[in-house]
Formats: sequence, structure tokens, C-alpha cells
Amino acid sequence: MKALPRASRLIALFCFSVFLLISFTFTPSYAADVGNCLLCHKYPGISRVDEEGKLRLFYVNESIFSNSVHAKVKCEGCHTDIKKIPHDVAKKVDCLVECHIIEPSSEKKFSHKDVKEFLGKSVHGPIDKEGKEKKYIEDYPTCKDCHDNPLYRPLSFFKKVRPGISEASLGRCRVCHKKEEFIYRFYNHVTTRLHKSRNPLNIAEVCARCHDNPEIVARHEMSTKAVFSYGETFHGKAARFLDERVPDCLDCHISKGESVHQMLPKEDPASSIHADNKGKICTNIDCHPSASPKLAKYSVHAEFNLKQSPAQYFFTVFFIILTGGTLLPLMFIILLDIIRRFFPNATIGRRK
Amino acid sequence: MATSTENIADTPDTAETDDYLTYVEGVGNIPRDIYKHVKSDPLGDLPRYSMHIVIQHFMTFVTFLILAATGLTLHFADLWWAPYIMSLFGGPDVARFIHRFAALLMVIASVYHVFTIGGGIIYSLMKKKFNFRRTQIPVLKDIQDITHDFKYFMGKVPHRPKMNKFMYKQKLHYFAIIWGTFVLITAGTTLLFPEFMSTIWPNPQFAQDLARLMHADEAIMAVTVIVFWHWSNVHLVPGRFPLQWSFITGKITREHQIEEHFLEYLYNIEEIPEEKEYIKKVLKEKGLSTD
Repeated sequence: MKALPRASRLIALFCFSVFLLISFTFTPSYAADVGNCLLCHKYPGISRVDEEGKLRLFYVNESIFSNSVHAKVKCEGCHTDIKKIPHDVAKKVDCLVECHIIEPSSEKKFSHKDVKEFLGKSVHGPIDKEGKEKKYIEDYPTCKDCHDNPLYRPLSFFKKVRPGISEASLGRCRVCHKKEEFIYRFYNHVTTRLHKSRNPLNIAEVCARCHDNPEIVARHEMSTKAVFSYGETFHGKAARFLDERVPDCLDCHISKGESVHQMLPKEDPASSIHADNKGKICTNIDCHPSASPKLAKYSVHAEFNLKQSPAQYFFTVFFIILTGGTLLPLMFIILLDIIRRFFPNATIGRRK
Repeated sequence: MATSTENIADTPDTAETDDYLTYVEGVGNIPRDIYKHVKSDPLGDLPRYSMHIVIQHFMTFVTFLILAATGLTLHFADLWWAPYIMSLFGGPDVARFIHRFAALLMVIASVYHVFTIGGGIIYSLMKKKFNFRRTQIPVLKDIQDITHDFKYFMGKVPHRPKMNKFMYKQKLHYFAIIWGTFVLITAGTTLLFPEFMSTIWPNPQFAQDLARLMHADEAIMAVTVIVFWHWSNVHLVPGRFPLQWSFITGKITREHQIEEHFLEYLYNIEEIPEEKEYIKKVLKEKGLSTD
């Protein structure tokens, strides 16, 4: 092949440079990384063994992070103790710090402090009504026991409700909003908040971290391993197959219009699962609107063991006996029948 | 010879039930083991089930398999194989629909069966031909047949009991199905229409608890009985392997009829002239004819 003339090579180099420049310029810029943290944290192997001997990974997957709900927050927004690179051992993130985001309706700096107040008054709060610390205070959840940095799970809205971004709806946003990045982020934010960002199984798995831990269940004298017994119901079974339409823990344990962080114990008259309010859960418009309130008294968290629900336990035992009692004699007949058919002349007693 | 059939006079023929030979008017003495010498068409020689019953069996077993596959997958949701079967059906939303549709078909088959049986009884009563010995109605003889069969299996008696159209195994199975269908439909309805059923049950919350236990437990029982009992009897036992065509043709082979349903075979001889001629011919060849 004939070598290109010098001028052509220069032009080619120029074009390539322009292409590189353009591709870098127009790659969606991830505003979060102003401090250039990804300089190091983009490497999947970045890790160390901490003082407790645990291997800690510090890799940040940029494309995943930029689709998460905190994508707009700078690294330094949460990791406030990091002032220089390379940095010292970083402190754990405090979710209650004020970040740089301005909350649009109040125009105040945004923080999760309100959530802590909600949580403090709820069944999961570490302080009881008399202001005393509850027993085993270390078992009570803080933000990060339940929350990670979830991904946006956008919901398409135009004609049908389905997952994904509705281009048709975005067209409407573009009438007023000019910034493409803002439009996508706002759309994602709103639609993610409008529906559940986790499916029922995810939710149950979060609760199971404590509520299925036998030590915690015993320590706090809870009546059941809650997620295990939920898994025994048809709701729980369908949830296991990622069914989205079945109720999960939060659907019953939170009063309508309130946040997860305001969950109350069943003894509290304001609680959604208080004996007087239970009926309203099942008769919710999305679920079983015409159900009798009595239905709500069915044992959602029955483990069907002798101690917890004896009637149901004996009912199950009855079926086991019935099955065994029917099947074993039948199998015995079959066995004799088969032996006779294979060995027609075999005999135990002498034939007359 | 020790048999337990002395004290029954169920049919005109039972007088000879202990005997090796059964005398039939116009035919002669039929030996108990004549089935070893008759010709049988594998597709069946003698009528056993009407087309209605064949259709009902077909509907029931197809829906049963679908219901078991979708339902037990849900029940055993936490086992490793469950997600694979569930995706085979298209996920929980589709499986839910399939399960309910199959259930509807099974209910239709059950209702159809009730009408067939009811209509059949009324018809035969009107014709004055109703004979409860040729039905699934349990009689004392069934228990005697079981003990007789046990003795046969142990080698104490040389031949199996002379049984009617439906022997004790089939009666047991039939009533198991009635019980199972009743339990499953009741529990299933309670689960599918909790709103409506909560207005009917005196103790709705308890009914819900029991329904979900009942539905699954009874289903497991039904599946084990079908697999270990029905499949053994009709598919796996030597002489029946791999299947009998009765479930499509509605006919039973002559050999099987004489072996397990001897008394019904006697009715066949009475009712079907060709069968009478045939058995006469066989007896003549064996030198047992009285003619």
C-alpha cells in the first residue's frame, strides 16, 4: 500500500484529534466527580484490608453511580472529612449532613435530618416514650442498615405504566425545560418516587436482615421470624418470583400517607396494624376492597408450629397423617401386587 | 379353600365364587384363569367407559398436571428448581392466570361428571336397569375382596377375587378424587375470592388459614397418590405397562376384564351376543363346553 502524503497524514491526525476532543466533550459529564475522585476509584481492584482484617473494596462504578439517586451529589457532599488527595482513612458517611442540594419548595439546604426525627418516634427508634434507651440499643436500625444507594428505576407513563423512560412524556418536559440532563434527572427522580423503587422481595430481604435473625428475634421477644412467616403466605411466595403486585412488609406496616420511617408498634392505636385498624389494610382500594374486616385477622405471620398456632398445627398434622395413612397401605398393596406378578408361584404358607 | 365370600349373595353368580369354575347358562363352566387363554386387542375389547367419562378423564388429568405444576412451584417457591419451572410458565402473573383457568376447566369437568353420573342413574332407573353393583358405590364385598386379594398376594389362594366393574382399588381412588376435588375447590375458592368468601365463612380469618394449608397439603397428597398409586396401578405394574388404551378408547381388554372384573365380564357375556359366541368358542377349543 502506498504511504499517504505528509499533508494527508497531518489532516488525518487533526481529524482524529478533533474526534477525540468531541467524544470527550460530549460524553455525559458526571458532575459528581468534581474532586476527581475517580482518578483512583475507577480501578475495580482498589481495596485494602482494614483493622478488623476485612477486605474492603473502594471501587466506584461510574455508570452505575451516575444512575443512582445520589448521582447529583458530589463525593465530598457525603464524605465531608476528605479534604485532600491522597486522603487518610475516611470516616463513615453521616446521612444527616446538609448537602449542597437546595430543596426547591423550601429553598433550604437539603438534609435527611427530618427522617431521623420520624424514625426516632417510630417502632424502630432507639429511645422509648419515656425518653429512656431501649434494651439492646445496638440492634435498632440506622439509615444504612436498610438503605444503599439505589438505582433509578424509571417508569414509563405515556399510555401504559411500564418500566423505562417515556420519550413521549419527555417531549412535554422539553417545552419548558431546556437542559437535557436536568430533564432526565427530574423525570427519573419523580417517577422513582411515584412508585416503589424496590420490588416486594427486595423489601422483605431488607427486613429479614434483622427480623429473620434468630438472635435478634429472641432478644426482642418477637413472636415470629417475620419474613420467614410472610414467605409462607401466598403473598410471600409470589414475591419470591419477583411479583410486583403482591403486598410486602411496608404495605401493611405503614399507615397510608406516611413514610416507612414512621412505622409504629402494633400496640399503638395509630399504628396501621393495631387490631382496630387492621381491617383497613386488606380493604385498601388496590387490594381486596370488598373484603370483610374480619379477613384481616387471618394469621399473616403464622409459622404453624405448636407454640404459635396450635389449631393450624394440628390441622397440618392431620393432613400428614391422612396422606401417610392413605398412601402407605396403598403402597403396601401395590408392592404385594407387583411381587405376585413378578413371582406368580412364590408362597409363604403352603397352598391347599 | 379359604375364601371370605361365603356369606354374600350379591349377584346370582356368587354362589359359585369360591369355585374355580363358574357356570353360566348357555355357555358352560368358565374357569377362573381363562384370561390366560383369550385373545385381547390392546386397544380394548369390551365397553367400560362412555365417551363422556373419557372426555372428563382427559380434562381432569390435563388440568391436574397443569395445576400441580403451577401450584406446587408456587408452594415450593424457596426451592432451587422453582424459578425455572415458574419461568417456563411465563412468570408468576401468567402462571397465576394459567392455574386459575385450569382450575375453572377442572371445575367444569367435575360438574360435567356430576351431570353424567346423575343423568346416567336416572336413565337406568327409568329403564329399571340400575344395578348398584356395577357402580362405584362401596359395598361390603369390597372389604372381602381386599382380604381375598391379600391372601392371593401371600400365595394362600390360587386366584384373585371375582370382582365387579369397579374393584376396591378403583373405588378407593374414586372417593379420594371426590374428597380431593371437594377440598381443593373449597380451599381454592376461599383463596381466590377472599372478599366474597369472607362474607360466607362463619370465621373468615380461620378459614383463610385453613384454606391455604388445606389447598397445599391436599394438593401434595393428591400428587403423591396419583404418582405412587394411580401411575403404579395403570402404568407401571407388569401387564399394564406402559399404559392402557382405555383412557382414550373407553374399552378394556378382555384379559384384564376377566382377571380383575370377572363379575362384570359375566354381565358382558349376557349383554353382548358376540362375546357369548367368542367365549363359547374358546371353551370349546379347551374342551370345557357343555354344548
